[in-house]
Amino acid sequence: MALEVETRPADNGVTVLAPTGRLDVAGAPALKEAIGEAVKNSPPKVVIDLEGVSFVDSTGLGSVIAALKQIRKSQGELRLAAPNQQVRVVLELTTLDRVFPYYATVEEALTGL
Amino acid sequence: MRSHRFEFRASLSDLVEGLDVLHQSVERFRRATGRSPDDLSLILFETALGEIGGNVLTHGRPRGTSRPVEYALRLDGDEIVASLTDSGPPVHEHLGREMPSLEHEDGRGLAMARSLLDELGYERDGDLNRWRLVKRL
Repeated sequence: MALEVETRPADNGVTVLAPTGRLDVAGAPALKEAIGEAVKNSPPKVVIDLEGVSFVDSTGLGSVIAALKQIRKSQGELRLAAPNQQVRVVLELTTLDRVFPYYATVEEALTGL
Repeated sequence: MRSHRFEFRASLSDLVEGLDVLHQSVERFRRATGRSPDDLSLILFETALGEIGGNVLTHGRPRGTSRPVEYALRLDGDEIVASLTDSGPPVHEHLGREMPSLEHEDGRGLAMARSLLDELGYERDGDLNRWRLVKRL
C-alpha cells in the first residue's frame, strides 16, 4: 500500500500535508518529496495531518525529523496533528514527543501558526 | 476463556508487498483471537514487526539471491510469536545499538524493537539470519 500525500494550502501561508497509508520504509520517500515542495515557502509553516496514517516506523519518523531540521533551518515551524495511538506510542517511545508538538486536530495545530 | 489457534506462513520477496503481508497477518491474528483494534500489546508487537520486517526485506535479499524471506506468525499460549528468516549479511554488530539522540534521522529500528518486545531473538545459521519476535498478550 503506497503512501499518498495530499498538499493543501491553509491561511497565513501554512501548508497542510495529509499523507494516507503507512508512513514506513516504503512510504517515507513520498512524504519527503512533499516536504521538499512545502519548504520552498519562506518561512515554511507546515502541519502534517496524520489522521490518515495508519502506522509509522522509524524510517517514517526519520522523514519527519528531516523535515523538522529543514524547516527550522529556514526559521519555519512544523506541527503534527491527529496522530493515532500507534503513532503516539512511537513518538513517546523514542522521546520525540519532546521535539514535536502534536495536536489532536488540524484546526488546533493551525491556531496561532 | 476461549482458546484460540492461529498460524500463518508466507514467503516474501518484495518490500512493499512483504510489508503489506506482515500487517495483514497481524490483522488476521487480531480478528482470529477476538482482539480490539486498540489492543496495546498487539500495537506494540506490530510496531516491532514493522521495524524488523522492514530491515529484513530491505537488507535480507542481497543482489543475486533469489531466496525469499520466510515469515511465520503464530499464537503460542499467551504469546504472539513471529519468525523471519533471511539471507542477508550477519547483523551482530547492530544488535546492541542504543536509541540515537533526538536529531538523528535513522538507527532507531532495533532499539525500538527491543523495547517493544518481551524477546527479540537473533541467530546466524550458516548463511541465514533467523529472527524471533515474542510478545506476551
